[in-house]
Amino acid sequence: MMYLQCAKVVDKISDIMDGHASILVRMRFHGHLLLCKNCRRYYDQLRTVRTLSGQVKSVDLLTELPDDFGQVMDFVMAEIEPEIEPEKGEKDA
Amino acid sequence: MHGQNRHHTEPLTEAAQVKALKAGDAVAWRDLLSRYGPSLLNYASSLLGDRGAAEEILQDSLVNIYRTIDRFEGRCSLKSWLYRGVHNRAIDEIRRRKRYVEVSADGLEDYFNEQGHWKHDCPGWDGLAAKQLDEKRVLSVVRQEMDRLPHMHREVLLMKDVEGLKTSEICAALEISAGNLRIRIHRARVALRTALSITLSVPLRAAVVG
Repeated sequence: MMYLQCAKVVDKISDIMDGHASILVRMRFHGHLLLCKNCRRYYDQLRTVRTLSGQVKSVDLLTELPDDFGQVMDFVMAEIEPEIEPEKGEKDA
Repeated sequence: MHGQNRHHTEPLTEAAQVKALKAGDAVAWRDLLSRYGPSLLNYASSLLGDRGAAEEILQDSLVNIYRTIDRFEGRCSLKSWLYRGVHNRAIDEIRRRKRYVEVSADGLEDYFNEQGHWKHDCPGWDGLAAKQLDEKRVLSVVRQEMDRLPHMHREVLLMKDVEGLKTSEICAALEISAGNLRIRIHRARVALRTALSITLSVPLRAAVVG
């Protein structure tokens, strides 16, 4: 199996994590990790970064969004609804 | 655009939804805003680092999207089109505030020697401070560090890792190639890792998962 430099391995981490690498590249990548403590550590850290950035969403949406978004919705619908003609039934009601 | 109000009992296909939106169907517009609005607000807020400005941007963008929906030709998904509208408006605002920052080199070349090997050991995240941090604190630091990233890093990280958009959706929203997106995402994660390494000398995984 062809030798991979650490610099190349680090460059491929996101492609590996996101499923964009071929089987051959994945095999060489993981083969390198078995032998290289530093690349293994860097890989673990980038995986953690991805996990953490994915978790930011739920925190923000659950604790901050509802009130803010209600106001935005009200504004937008107030802007566009006058341009939307009501149904005949609603107009007559 | 001629307005109509219909009562939807089942989810519409995207083609039917676009048709209803173009027809000025108020129910379809409310459905659209309810479905994508929270994520779009979250995205704009994260990109701008300013919730109040993000609300204004989102309002302007959505009203503009309503007024230009007739121009939507279905070359990308409706979701990508919405993100593109909000994204472009937010970037205009960043430029207006002169906060626009070109992507700098990620600095990784400093880590390796001419043979492509590590010059020094990759520092671990297993410092003593770890034990003092709980999950909420760690995520708060992650959010702070994301807000400090250059917008070209932040926008792809937000769309990919935070909002969970597909590669094709992000490419369409930002009008970039898949190859360009992959490079940007990697650089964004590397930049965030570097920022977190400086701020936290902690075992993040243990703090989050454990």
